[in-house]
Amino acid sequence: MASAQATAPPVVTAVRPHRSRTVPAWVWALPPVAVLGLVFLYPLGLVVQESLAPGAYAEVLASASFRDALVTTVWLAVGATVGCLVLGFVLALIVAFVPFPGAKAVSRFIDVFLSFPSFLITLALLFVYGTVGMANGLWTGATGADAVSDGPFHFLTTPWGVLLAEITYFTPFVMRPLLAAFSQLDTAQLEVASSLGARPARIVRRVILPEVLPALAAGGSLVLVMCLNEFGIVLFTGAKGVTTLPMLVYSQAILESDYAAACVVAVVNVALSVGLYAVYRVVSRRAGA
Amino acid sequence: MLVHSRSGRRASWLVFAVLFVPLFAVPLLVIVAASFSTHWSGAFPSGPTTEHYAAAVRGESLQALTTSLVTAVAASLLALTLGTWAALAAAALRGRGRRILDALFVLPLAVPSVVVGLAVLVAFSRPPLLLNGTRWIVILAHTVLVTAFAHQSVSAAIRRLDPMYEQAAAGLGARPSYVLLRVRLPLLLPSLSAAAGLCFALSMGELSATMMLYPPDWTPLPVLVFTATDRGSLFIGSALAVVLMAATLLVLLAVSRIRTKASYR
Amino acid sequence: MTSGIRFDGVTVRYGDTTVLDALTLTVEPGEVMALLGPSGSGKTTALRTVAGFVTPSAGRVHIGDRDVTDLPPYKRGIGMVVQQYALFPHLRVDENVAFGLKARKHPRAEIPGRVAEALEMTGMGAYARRHPRELSGGQQQRVAIARALAIRPDVLLLDEPLSALDAQLRSGMLAELARLHRELPDVSILYVTHDQVEALTLADRISVMDRARLQDCGTPQELYRRPRTAFTASFVGNANLLPVRVGPDGVDLAGTALKVPVGDAAPGAAATLCVRPHLIGLGEGPNALRGRIAEVQWRGATHRLYVDVDGHRVKADVRELRDTPPLGSEVTLHFAPEDAVLLAAGVNDG
Repeated sequence: MASAQATAPPVVTAVRPHRSRTVPAWVWALPPVAVLGLVFLYPLGLVVQESLAPGAYAEVLASASFRDALVTTVWLAVGATVGCLVLGFVLALIVAFVPFPGAKAVSRFIDVFLSFPSFLITLALLFVYGTVGMANGLWTGATGADAVSDGPFHFLTTPWGVLLAEITYFTPFVMRPLLAAFSQLDTAQLEVASSLGARPARIVRRVILPEVLPALAAGGSLVLVMCLNEFGIVLFTGAKGVTTLPMLVYSQAILESDYAAACVVAVVNVALSVGLYAVYRVVSRRAGA
Repeated sequence: MLVHSRSGRRASWLVFAVLFVPLFAVPLLVIVAASFSTHWSGAFPSGPTTEHYAAAVRGESLQALTTSLVTAVAASLLALTLGTWAALAAAALRGRGRRILDALFVLPLAVPSVVVGLAVLVAFSRPPLLLNGTRWIVILAHTVLVTAFAHQSVSAAIRRLDPMYEQAAAGLGARPSYVLLRVRLPLLLPSLSAAAGLCFALSMGELSATMMLYPPDWTPLPVLVFTATDRGSLFIGSALAVVLMAATLLVLLAVSRIRTKASYR
Repeated sequence: MTSGIRFDGVTVRYGDTTVLDALTLTVEPGEVMALLGPSGSGKTTALRTVAGFVTPSAGRVHIGDRDVTDLPPYKRGIGMVVQQYALFPHLRVDENVAFGLKARKHPRAEIPGRVAEALEMTGMGAYARRHPRELSGGQQQRVAIARALAIRPDVLLLDEPLSALDAQLRSGMLAELARLHRELPDVSILYVTHDQVEALTLADRISVMDRARLQDCGTPQELYRRPRTAFTASFVGNANLLPVRVGPDGVDLAGTALKVPVGDAAPGAAATLCVRPHLIGLGEGPNALRGRIAEVQWRGATHRLYVDVDGHRVKADVRELRDTPPLGSEVTLHFAPEDAVLLAAGVNDG
């Protein structure tokens, strides 16, 4: 390389031979990283530091409320994810492959739905299944029971109510990547399969499902992480019996001002969801490849 | 077309309607219906009124709406700047550097919002940056929460951008800064506005971190919806929620019109 | 000022794959040089080293007397047109054409004149205020050419500029490009294509590339009439390549003696005989080849016959036949001694 410079001196004036004309690309990455470090990484580091207060881990990990919250959080998240996957797959399948007038509007509606906050679902469910809501009202109207509050639907303040709300709210998050994956599916493949005599159920199992499995896995792990982190739905349920890890962080920090304990719970919650999110990234990268 | 028989199609649509309508359509309708009612003790609401809306657009509620709007606009713009910058910087890097930068900027997606709230509270309740009790801490937390979304959608758009445009521009004698301003950013504009809309919607509905941080004089709308619901005023809460949804949708609609214009220019 | 392009041992490697192997080639000022080859031959890579989008692993690239190897693309002063046009979709036609001038901080007052001139030259003056998406493929290509010409480059790089157009538009654009080159005789053009018709029509010289290497270089006539390698002979004009043994005053094709100029080929050596299909006639004549018809294709004005001669398939393009010979029938082909070229050995037919 160096020898060639001697043979061809740059004589054209338009080219000034200054070497430091461009800064290396990584320099441009510094400002955003610095900002992110200040507003996110540094605060997160302080949370970890705070959680290391003497005895904080031992105390929190030994407490029954923490262990309850951990168990509740995990089973709610897993249950909601399974529910979202099944429901989302069925609904997306119908929207994509059994098109009906208004199917487009449904996909639009899903996009809009995604832009609303999660707690609206709980708010709505209060009217539908609340102690004095629609469902109980219908029941008492039909059976002639004395008071509306005698109706059979009291699950809203139990974990089941949270599960229902989470499935409702997060299903569109599974549907959207699925619909995108379905639209990339080669329809000729389906036509060939059905011309060879395959029934719809077989086509779904043998052709569609394997093709969209990556999208399904990616959507599912995203929902799992979001369910682990969900706060609004649980807060609006107002159930004393349902405490999840994010709820515990909030109550320890704001209601009881026990920051050390809140930070311990936060670290556990972060470890859980960041670990899962890393899995999601690996899965979705494989899905994209 | 997967199901060929007419009865099969009917059956699938029925399944769809039975699942979709009660789960997704009814909740939103219920909130709208409740916002116009005074009682709901049977199958249907009763006592039609617009009183809740009258209350929702004045005093405390109106202030909460403007608080939410200001917070969401500020947070989205900040997040868009930060996320776009990071996405552009990452695109110029190779291999490990790019992966580290991308991973750093999606990290806030995985961290629970409540924890982001707690972290910001812990970090900015002490000198040198004492923001606790001011509106800035809310805006800051919202920015952190939505930056990851901005970064993700802008990086996806950059990956989709055909390098031939940059190369054509460079071949015509445009230096990198000129290519960025005159070619790449204009071509990214539709995606940038979509990302801005997404950030705005997320910030408008943000409750988790906000609950940890909001000062009394900077109460966003979701917090007000919660306090109304919490003290039992479900109907007022519904009206506030409808205002929240409507404001979000209006802004999203405006953004998408800008986007259509930008992509067909 | 005019300047040519000089490749000096330019090599491009990605990992273990060499996509361009020690290319040494000079494009003279004002010359149209076609880089002709199949896909994957390295021709586009060679062009991109001139544009600056590919950095050579070894060797130098010169434009005029400048070594541009280490210059970023925007300092090279080249005009480039690619297959997909790459017009900026958010800019109008005139803004697209003005782009290079503005980017180079050309005096503002002169820009409209230069834009109009470039658009007139390509016949797109009436479309200045349109957006690219409102134009047809051929019109977009004209705008792309106008945009490249507006900066008055010394060197114009054309990367498969006509491949996205349909056949009819392509021949029209080919004539346009030839006219543009007559109007701009000082511009050196490097023209990458896989289409021999484009190369033969437009180029002053053709460089034939295959498997990352330069195979042959010469004027269209030289390459067509006197190809130097079997690859050139078959890629340009789809010649018959027959394995022969050199005799005292001709060659021997599986027992049939043929009279062809042998030049300085050593008697007894193996060689490849190259004859163009359209120079082979049907019927008796000098250098008669007897064989059986294996296939007949009607191509409108001509018939292409595939004839098996002693185990070798010979292609012959003959004027349209009134009665097509049945498959398997015996025919005799012939060709004039001066229409055959003897190449060094080592090539199988087929």
